[in-house]
Amino acid sequence: MRVAVGVLGLLLGLLAGAILILMNPVAWFRGLPPLPADLAPAKAYRWDEYRGIETGMADLLGLGRRTPGVALMDPALANVRIGIIVLPAGEGMPAALAVKISAIAEENSLWRAQLGTHDYWSIFWPGEGSVFAASYSNYWNIARDAFFASLRAGNWQSMAPVYPVSAPSPVADAAGVTGASGRYAGFTGEIRELLYPAARGPDWSIAIKANPPPVTRP
Amino acid sequence: MKRLFVVAFIAGLAAMLLAATLWPLPSHVRSRSLTSVPPDGGRQEDFIIHWPEDRIARPGEAASGLPPIAAVGAAVLEDSAGRRVSAEMFRVRDTEDNVIGVASRLAGTGGAIADPRRSASNWLIVIPSRGALFLAQGDARDTTVRGQVTSNGNLALAPAQAATFWTDQSRIRVTAAAPGVSGSATTGKVLRGTSEFAGLSGTFTETWNLEEVGADGSTRGRILLSTLTAAGT
Repeated sequence: MRVAVGVLGLLLGLLAGAILILMNPVAWFRGLPPLPADLAPAKAYRWDEYRGIETGMADLLGLGRRTPGVALMDPALANVRIGIIVLPAGEGMPAALAVKISAIAEENSLWRAQLGTHDYWSIFWPGEGSVFAASYSNYWNIARDAFFASLRAGNWQSMAPVYPVSAPSPVADAAGVTGASGRYAGFTGEIRELLYPAARGPDWSIAIKANPPPVTRP
Repeated sequence: MKRLFVVAFIAGLAAMLLAATLWPLPSHVRSRSLTSVPPDGGRQEDFIIHWPEDRIARPGEAASGLPPIAAVGAAVLEDSAGRRVSAEMFRVRDTEDNVIGVASRLAGTGGAIADPRRSASNWLIVIPSRGALFLAQGDARDTTVRGQVTSNGNLALAPAQAATFWTDQSRIRVTAAAPGVSGSATTGKVLRGTSEFAGLSGTFTETWNLEEVGADGSTRGRILLSTLTAAGT
């Protein structure tokens, strides 16, 4: 009886600790506001053809397994994900070819409600131009909601259908859009990403707002 | 009994909070940065890619049984006007041949991008332990990968992987020596960096070096990305 009470107390203490950490109020204030849809329409895409990590909770906590044929086996690439993505046409823009690279952020901290990746994009629109983009995606809110859903016997309906994952980068001046060539050379701007955790269709969407460089008089 | 429960509860709570503090979150394996300072100043760092072995194939993509010119891990997007964009993924090495990161090469032709028969290309180099570098350039020739529909499906073909590409030379400077006329891309520019590369900008050159020609007409070689950067330029 004494052992059972001790184990029960210990388990409830562990659970209460996990809830305390996951309910970190900092997480509620860490997101970035969405970009106006008329200025930066979101482009939905799938990112299921990739090499490297899955960027699930196990990977972010360092518990992920290396999937044969998908994982990058070089030690320096153990926490990296890379893939080619086609961004669909629409809103006056042609389809674009892109490469997205995500690397688990070394600045992640469970006390600061940071559990995310540094994401890097290279995007090229045929005949139009190209941009680079960098951002930080924080998966904390997804981890929190998934934890509480699992406590409710796997009631995944309680999770939000979409999560705005873009958050201020823990590294100063790391995020943003940089125009590279064509019509977008010299442009600068912002990037936001949304994740649809239970999507059967596109599982991500990206929105980019970029402005031309200021005109300088000769 | 109640006291035991409270003590066990507090122990569990403390254990979880301690675990959150001490949990070893993932970090990246880091190699020593191999940079040098040229006489005129700045910071030089070279990145090396071996083809074809450093190409990152897509999952399930077999490298065997393909023609020598086929590029694994590459994709091509071409519109009805013949304006083409190609994407390639690579491992990146330092000058001591350690794999230190990944890179993508996206190249495009036509329209506002580059002069006729030339392309503009972007290199995104990500060294997980150090950050990312954004490189853009006008190319001295069309360096896009071509797409071809075959009985085996869509193939991406990299002309430089065929021996016929290297008729009279074994070294090609890909970076254009002068800015394009109609395109906006210039000679090789390091546009920006993040994390440890933040605040750096400068120039770079891309060079392809042929090292071996196989009996089947395939080639092996080396792509050299030589960057020269400085803070605040």
